[in-house]
Amino acid sequence: MATPTPCYHCGLPVPSGSRFQAQVLGAPREMCCPGCQAVAEAIVSGGLEHYYSHRSESAANPQSLPQALPDELALYDRSDVQQPFVEHDGELSETCLLIEGISCAACGWLIEKHLRALPGVSEAHLNLSNHRLQVRWADSQLPLSQLLKALRKIGYAAHPWQADAAAEQLQRENRRAMRELGVAGMLWMQVMMATMATWPEFNIDLSPELDKILRWVSLFLTTPIVFYCCGQFFRGALRDLRTRHLTMDVSVSLAIGSAYVAGIWSTITGQGELYFDAVGMFALFLLAGRYLERRARERTAAATAQLVNLLPASCLRLDADGQSQRILLSELRVGDQVLVPPGALLPADGRIVQGQSSVDESLLTGEYLPQPRNVGDAVTAGTLNVEGPLQVEVQALGDATRLSAIVRLLERAQSDKPRLAVLADRVAQWFLLIVLVVAAIVGLVWWQLDPSRAFWIVLALLVATCPCALALATPTALTAATGSLHKLGMLLTRGHVLEGLNQIDTLVLDKTGTLTEGRLTLSAIHLLRELDADSCLALAAALENRSEHPIARAFGQAPEAAEQVDSHPGLGLQGRAGGRLLRIGQADFVCALSTQPVPTITGEHGQWLLLGDEQGPLAWFVLDDRLRDDAPQLIAMAKAKCWQIMLLSGDSSPMVAEVARQLGIDDARGGLTPDAKLDVLKQLHSQGCRVLMLGDGVNDVPVLAAADISVAMGSATDLAKTSADAVLLSNRLSSLVQALHMAQRTRRVIIENLAWASLYNGLVLPFAAIGWITPIWAALGMSVSSLLVVLNALRLTRP
Amino acid sequence: MPALYILIPVAIALVAFAIWLFFWAVDSGQYDDLDGPAHSILFDDEDPKHKAAVTQAQQQDTQHDSQEPPRA
Repeated sequence: MATPTPCYHCGLPVPSGSRFQAQVLGAPREMCCPGCQAVAEAIVSGGLEHYYSHRSESAANPQSLPQALPDELALYDRSDVQQPFVEHDGELSETCLLIEGISCAACGWLIEKHLRALPGVSEAHLNLSNHRLQVRWADSQLPLSQLLKALRKIGYAAHPWQADAAAEQLQRENRRAMRELGVAGMLWMQVMMATMATWPEFNIDLSPELDKILRWVSLFLTTPIVFYCCGQFFRGALRDLRTRHLTMDVSVSLAIGSAYVAGIWSTITGQGELYFDAVGMFALFLLAGRYLERRARERTAAATAQLVNLLPASCLRLDADGQSQRILLSELRVGDQVLVPPGALLPADGRIVQGQSSVDESLLTGEYLPQPRNVGDAVTAGTLNVEGPLQVEVQALGDATRLSAIVRLLERAQSDKPRLAVLADRVAQWFLLIVLVVAAIVGLVWWQLDPSRAFWIVLALLVATCPCALALATPTALTAATGSLHKLGMLLTRGHVLEGLNQIDTLVLDKTGTLTEGRLTLSAIHLLRELDADSCLALAAALENRSEHPIARAFGQAPEAAEQVDSHPGLGLQGRAGGRLLRIGQADFVCALSTQPVPTITGEHGQWLLLGDEQGPLAWFVLDDRLRDDAPQLIAMAKAKCWQIMLLSGDSSPMVAEVARQLGIDDARGGLTPDAKLDVLKQLHSQGCRVLMLGDGVNDVPVLAAADISVAMGSATDLAKTSADAVLLSNRLSSLVQALHMAQRTRRVIIENLAWASLYNGLVLPFAAIGWITPIWAALGMSVSSLLVVLNALRLTRP
Repeated sequence: MPALYILIPVAIALVAFAIWLFFWAVDSGQYDDLDGPAHSILFDDEDPKHKAAVTQAQQQDTQHDSQEPPRA
């Protein structure tokens, strides 16, 4: 089969015989699904088709966005619901929405243009860094629900967003970092002018009076740099000294502090050299390095961190006479009865009082097949109702649910997370010790030779060996590598990942959704009659396309539609396609149509669905959770590195052993609860193992939080993504393999940088010791060595 | 160099003003999004098709103001 054409809108493969097309940029374009078609048509009819020529990435598939029901959106029009996140200012309302589905800069343009064209919208501004949309609109002309619908029409999901304490703190920190950087930059330039004028090398014939004035001016301008901008270095140094660690912060503080104090002395006495420009340069370079590193990490991390939607926002409550009403989850009480339609998440823990269905608990337990549930069975909040409507009596809500118990386990696990050693700090420790010892010796020797010069020579030594390049070595390399990894589809949310990946010796994997696709796909068709496989699949797909059932997606898009399709919950579907009456689903149900005996199932794995017509069964369809294509590649790499590999799954089916056999993993354990998984990890830690954990479900969350380094799949639950150190946005395990290569390269660059910085400092030491170093040489050496370090780090931006 | 006696205070005042302006810009959120503006100037706002669609939408709106909003 030829490679399928990618969908023009979302880039997913278009199924053969697809009938979805849209006229974009003057040509008909193939679409993969009705969702993409509708979005593309909405964009074109809004006159915004230039989006397609501007964009650099494919859009998100509309089906991958969370479902939103029209009556759920309508809840947002209630004033008591709006109250926490909408501000009213006369006619206009203002709110902040978090947008899902943004893939590139053109999305921002599309959203802003589309909204501004709506009647009633006066302002729309999207922040591409954190995906927050600020809108001002006239509520009387356009209800909020219509605004959300308009966004959905062009393929984005919007959630009301409220700043929580963490987000506000983050914003404060970001703004403070920006201010410190700006102040350091602006003041440094002034300080440089004033200080350099006093240097003998420039040979400006200054009057003694003016020399004094310039010294005082530089002191005046340097003071805010030291106290305002460099505060974080001093605080860090103090903290590290209390815990008896010599870190980079200590080294930096010593250099800045000594140069500043000596500058004060020199200003008051009017003698000696001024090193104020070195203080400014040092502060600016270091702050810039740290600022860039912070931004590289937070860019999209902030966008995903906010979305912890494990439970639906609303649910259908049944009142006494059986009428359902949509309410917010917060309005639900224990003892209420809720109606859960197929395809919806269960809002609370409870007991089924009416209906039968199967429930997909894979994210909570790791079981990959939906579990059948009947009247009287217990169901858990956060799991997915698959087949028929269920009427559930609520027994536990909020903090009392099983889901919350896992979240509490997560909080406990986070405090157990071990800290990995940072290479730069170890180097800084030795560096600082050597410099202090050398300074002491040089000071003593000069004290014997010429006591009047001893102080200035020791000072020149401390400033000249100021660890600027050393302090920049790590942040610049990490920033460059974080940027390239983002392009490869791996998002780092915490700083220790790149350095820590080199220390890993154990790989712990989850099965469902991590090594496997995490959804049922068609793995085999067993024919029972004369009809060939393609025709059987076409018939089955025609029926299933009319169903909302998650299994239905496994069949892909049918070339033609079925008619008169009826759904029989728990049993299957019946409908007319290709000129015959067909049934698909449970074997008994299908065979009842033809009154033929039920054919035998010839395998053990997966879910078996039967297709049949009035003459008898036509074919078995076997649905299974398939291994990811790049799983063997990951395992091969882990084996090449001689890592210990473990498969920890919550799934108790033989599928665990099967996956382990296929991939060649010796240590595979199934049927584990989140607690048990965490215990295994603790045991590994007690043996001194450094663990890399890869997972996706809620049941993996405590282990993800406690592992030395954790990586969540891009398709993982929001909670898993926020508790992991990195997210595989691309959903490809091969990105992790690339990340490991990148981690090795990063380590090499960091070592090169550290080596160069140490070498430079080693070279300059003898010159400083014999008193040849003046401020101009210190400044030159510092900028050239820093520039080299930055250029070396930039090599990491090339793949 | 008597000019310096005036120029140095002027320079300090200018820096103080620049820092004040910078603080104001940071606090009003102008540096919160450092990615978006770099791209937004590249997009064409004056696309005739877009303008036509906007006017059409506005006309429709004035015509059907009393009607129920369209269903998505």
